[in-house]
Amino acid sequence: MLDVILTALAISSGFALAAGGITIIYMSTETFNFAHASMVAYAFYTVFVLNLVTGGSPYYYIPIAALVSGAIGVIIYFTINKWLLRAGATMVTLMMSTLGADLILYGFLNALAENLTQIFKRDMRYFLLAEQDILLFRIGNVNVKLIHIVSLLVVVVIIAAIQLFLTRTKFGIAMRTTVENPTLAKVLGINPETVYLASWFIGGAMAGLGGGILSLVMPGETRIGLVLIVPLFAAAIVGGLYSIFGSLLGGFLIGVSMQLGIYLLAQAVGSWINAYKYIIPLAMMVVTLLVYPQGLGALPWGKYLSRFRRFRGE
Amino acid sequence: MALEALAPLLTQIILYFAAFLIVTLSLNLEVGYAGIAQFGRVLAVLTGAVVAGAIPGRILAYMMGMPYGAEYANHLINFKIVNTITNELLTPNPLLSIGMFVFTLALAALLGGIVGFICSYPALRLKEAYLGITLLAFGDALQAFIWNYDPIAGATQGINIPDFYRWVGAGAPRFYAATITMLGIAILVYILIDAIGRAPYGRALKAMRDSEVAAAVYGKDIAGLRGKTLIVGGAIAAIGGALWTMYSLSFKAITFNRLTWTFWPWAFMMLGGTGNNFGVLIGTFIFSTARTLIFTYKEILTQVIPISPQWLEYILVGTAIVVIALLRPQGIIPEKPALTLKREEIIEIKERVRSRSK
Repeated sequence: MLDVILTALAISSGFALAAGGITIIYMSTETFNFAHASMVAYAFYTVFVLNLVTGGSPYYYIPIAALVSGAIGVIIYFTINKWLLRAGATMVTLMMSTLGADLILYGFLNALAENLTQIFKRDMRYFLLAEQDILLFRIGNVNVKLIHIVSLLVVVVIIAAIQLFLTRTKFGIAMRTTVENPTLAKVLGINPETVYLASWFIGGAMAGLGGGILSLVMPGETRIGLVLIVPLFAAAIVGGLYSIFGSLLGGFLIGVSMQLGIYLLAQAVGSWINAYKYIIPLAMMVVTLLVYPQGLGALPWGKYLSRFRRFRGE
Repeated sequence: MALEALAPLLTQIILYFAAFLIVTLSLNLEVGYAGIAQFGRVLAVLTGAVVAGAIPGRILAYMMGMPYGAEYANHLINFKIVNTITNELLTPNPLLSIGMFVFTLALAALLGGIVGFICSYPALRLKEAYLGITLLAFGDALQAFIWNYDPIAGATQGINIPDFYRWVGAGAPRFYAATITMLGIAILVYILIDAIGRAPYGRALKAMRDSEVAAAVYGKDIAGLRGKTLIVGGAIAAIGGALWTMYSLSFKAITFNRLTWTFWPWAFMMLGGTGNNFGVLIGTFIFSTARTLIFTYKEILTQVIPISPQWLEYILVGTAIVVIALLRPQGIIPEKPALTLKREEIIEIKERVRSRSK
């Protein structure tokens, strides 16, 4: 049971980071980024290939994976998104254009995997990095690995850093201004295009970090992006798409309910249910959209907290 | 002689073109005319395909006294049952073949319509991209279900479909029959959707797409229009899925993914011209020809470009989507303004109004 919880938390951390990336890009540019699938998949492959070439620990390459995915975000912004935003394209066109980018990236990733298969003389379409993880200690018969600690630390640090960046730095405040009201931001001398660029880079880098962490807890394949995009969108939407904190909650809610929920369901009704794992995030996303489309991030958490305090008589 | 050598290639292009034309036209009705962000096209297509895979074979198996329950979908015996049905029941009985074929299409359309009706629940509550993602989730969920649940359509092992074209003759004649039938139905769908576009219903849809408030002010029932469009679109897409399955004679849920049956039709529609049926036809034709040619000449192609055609296809379709979105968002043939009267009549009315105001 404990091992399932540990894995669920690590996967949730990856989801939370990548979903935060989707949220940042959506907040500033109103683009639902389908290319997030490929950004995550490229992070998987960056970690894997560098690990294979140099033999070093996969952990060294997670930051590089973040840079690679951030660079993909910058490229997408400069080649596609910038011009569509200037032309005032609709939300659906923006979404379709990132889908086109995703198809291109997916095609290249597969072609690359095929060519690398010939170079490295091993099937590059599938890999498992989890076995290279470092064992920290054991509780009973449960292995606690480094990723279980690192993933949670990274999430806390990154979310705190972004929260500080958005509320305490001048550029962060400029970013929020642009999100709230682009016209007013322009009047104040803020260039919205710099803000869009920054959010594409940060969003991409968060996808890369999430992908890097996920590569150590789940098997990698070229299709991984197509598989993961659904829970990632679900996490971002459950979180409300308008706050980083919300996507953190969304990522953990989706990740834990997917991993832990399917584990408990499998114990209750039998292992056949495992095949329907990815229906859980889909269902949660649809229910959120239909019942409370503002998402978790929009719930008045402060009010709940003060009510709770009052309840305890403080 | 040359034509004979080209025949397989041509039938391949036409089959692919016809199936995707039906699906893309249904998408155009929902996206181009009604402005509904239909990112779950695969849902209705898959429904049609499952109907074709699971229902007619079972009815025929029941008629022949063979297992027709959950065991029908068992891949160890399914191909035997389907072979017996095709050889002993369908081949000698053209009327039964045609009857079952039409019945399957009708049932697929009915269930596709029901799926469309279910989609109208979120479609009346959500806007744009949010609706798109919800419908996408519906499609993925159904695919995951069919892919994992054996008793309906054999899950990962897939299911075989009795051959309704076999009475024409095995081999090439069968393919020609399938090609002609599918092309004929695609043309009928084209005429139907074009007629819908010209009818008051289609014009109301365009009015709703351009401004919901304005359409509502003129007394158009927005909820009703959206619901109706999703039902009609779903029914037509399901026919497309059923036709493709009855031609290919085998069904596997994995082939009905969001990429092939949602995003590809979107790309075809965007290339041709969203909201313009003729444009959609041209877009679908260009893509289906290009695709078939890439796959036919893949040996030559891989010598020039070191990327296998399977992945090259993704790169090409992706590039096409991006380039169209950037350079020509209205597509090759842009949508024409809907003229309800002939030009001369409009001029005459204009004159009359002017003379009266004097």
